[in-house]
Amino acid sequence: MTKQNLTTSPQEAASRLLDGDLQLEQSSLSHIDQEKFARYAQIGDVMRHTQTGGINIDITASVARALESEPCHNVTDDNSADIEQINDTKVIKLSAWRRPLSQIAIAASVALVAVVGVNTMPQQNSPAIDEMPILQSRPLAGGVAPVSFSSEQPALQQAEQGIRDLQQQRIGALVLEHQRQSRVAYALQQKDKAEREQSEEKK
Amino acid sequence: MRLLACILGLFLATLAHAEEVVSAKQLLNNMATAVHNRNFDASFVVLKGKGMEPYRWVHAKHDNKELELLSLLNGAGLEIVRVDDLVTYYEPQSAPYSVKTDSIAGPIPEILFKDSEALLEHYDFVLGGKGRIAGRPAQLVRVEAKDDSKYNYWLWIDTQSSLLLKAAYVTQQGELLEQLQLTHISVTPEPAEQLLELTQREFPTPLPALELSKDETTQSNWQIGWLPEGFKLLKSDRHKLDLNNELADYYLFSDGLVDVSVFVQRPLPGQRPSGALSSGATTVYVHNSGAFDVSVVGNIPAITAKSIAESVKRPL
Repeated sequence: MTKQNLTTSPQEAASRLLDGDLQLEQSSLSHIDQEKFARYAQIGDVMRHTQTGGINIDITASVARALESEPCHNVTDDNSADIEQINDTKVIKLSAWRRPLSQIAIAASVALVAVVGVNTMPQQNSPAIDEMPILQSRPLAGGVAPVSFSSEQPALQQAEQGIRDLQQQRIGALVLEHQRQSRVAYALQQKDKAEREQSEEKK
Repeated sequence: MRLLACILGLFLATLAHAEEVVSAKQLLNNMATAVHNRNFDASFVVLKGKGMEPYRWVHAKHDNKELELLSLLNGAGLEIVRVDDLVTYYEPQSAPYSVKTDSIAGPIPEILFKDSEALLEHYDFVLGGKGRIAGRPAQLVRVEAKDDSKYNYWLWIDTQSSLLLKAAYVTQQGELLEQLQLTHISVTPEPAEQLLELTQREFPTPLPALELSKDETTQSNWQIGWLPEGFKLLKSDRHKLDLNNELADYYLFSDGLVDVSVFVQRPLPGQRPSGALSSGATTVYVHNSGAFDVSVVGNIPAITAKSIAESVKRPL
């Protein structure tokens, strides 16, 4: 018996226990896996229609475990920056800006919108804008991507998505460039004016 | 007799109108003086459609030197520091750099703090109603475009301190597109310590003297057929964009109040219809004209951006 017990696998032991083949005692209990035993018992109950409360599978533990090992996304150094600010409010932490905060830098003014496609959106009350096609936009953060699951032309869709990304990237770059260039616009204007006045004086 | 009364009435009306213009102009001038001479610490938010950007704005005049700090408080941020006529931009994506200019290019068009009278050629200054903004009595001054294809700019000015309390880009229909609203302002006799420290700081050497780089070859590359009244070319060149390394023929236009950028680029692959995208008052119009793409960016109505983009052609 002991020899036999040693060779049996935990599954077998559990199965035999449930079937009543094996005596429930310390030695046989040590061979069974608690989780498996519970599952076998449940299977048996379901098969015999004795269970009434519905199948109850507890996955909280495994989800919690999975979450623990999940890498953290979207964690920036905001907190540390705040702390620095609190510790030293009188000094402007200019050096903080040198930290590479994001690789894909989107100008602040477009950070909230991303292009996802183009459609024509008629607008009321303004006939002038009626024919204006609007690039549809959606918020970058928290938005649910409008994915359609028609699997007929996945390659085509992927290509479209690629183009959209390119366009989005380009728009981000254009807005940033516009922002940068308009910083010198005023200075250029002053210079332009000064030059014109000078040339007028010469005349 | 009736005719005389009529003429007199007309005369008085024009006189009143002239007076109004003077006082609106005067208010703007007072604001410019106040913004450049007072020590203040303000917070404001910019509302763009559904988005919001909070800023802090601190200014001081110390030993005849102007010290100014403007920082964007949300997200990756942006910090702009001005010590007299040296403006330094600190951005998360790139190394800080300085520009030799005497005003910060922030959310408020800098010309309004300088020689706003230069705008009178293309804009009218109109006095609006009085109200209460940020807990202070305010007077509305409307900078209205003479040309329908541009936005108007409205400013609410503190009647006591002459400082700016609120500003907005407004459509010709009177819809407020992008609002800037002060949430707090304190004017102090002494400059903030934070700003005094700026005088000790070292800044990057400013970029080489700005030139009106109107590159002849770029200018002859494309013909920009139409622009709203008053826009002048400030700059044109061919350069690579910072973010995606794409080459673009670049044109910068300005009418004094708003700047417009025009980019001509190699087309992206695929069939993409042209379209507009806007955030607050900023419009991006992407025009796909087959052999090349034209993109127009600026604080102008989408329909105007569309007209500009579609007017770009290869010279014959």
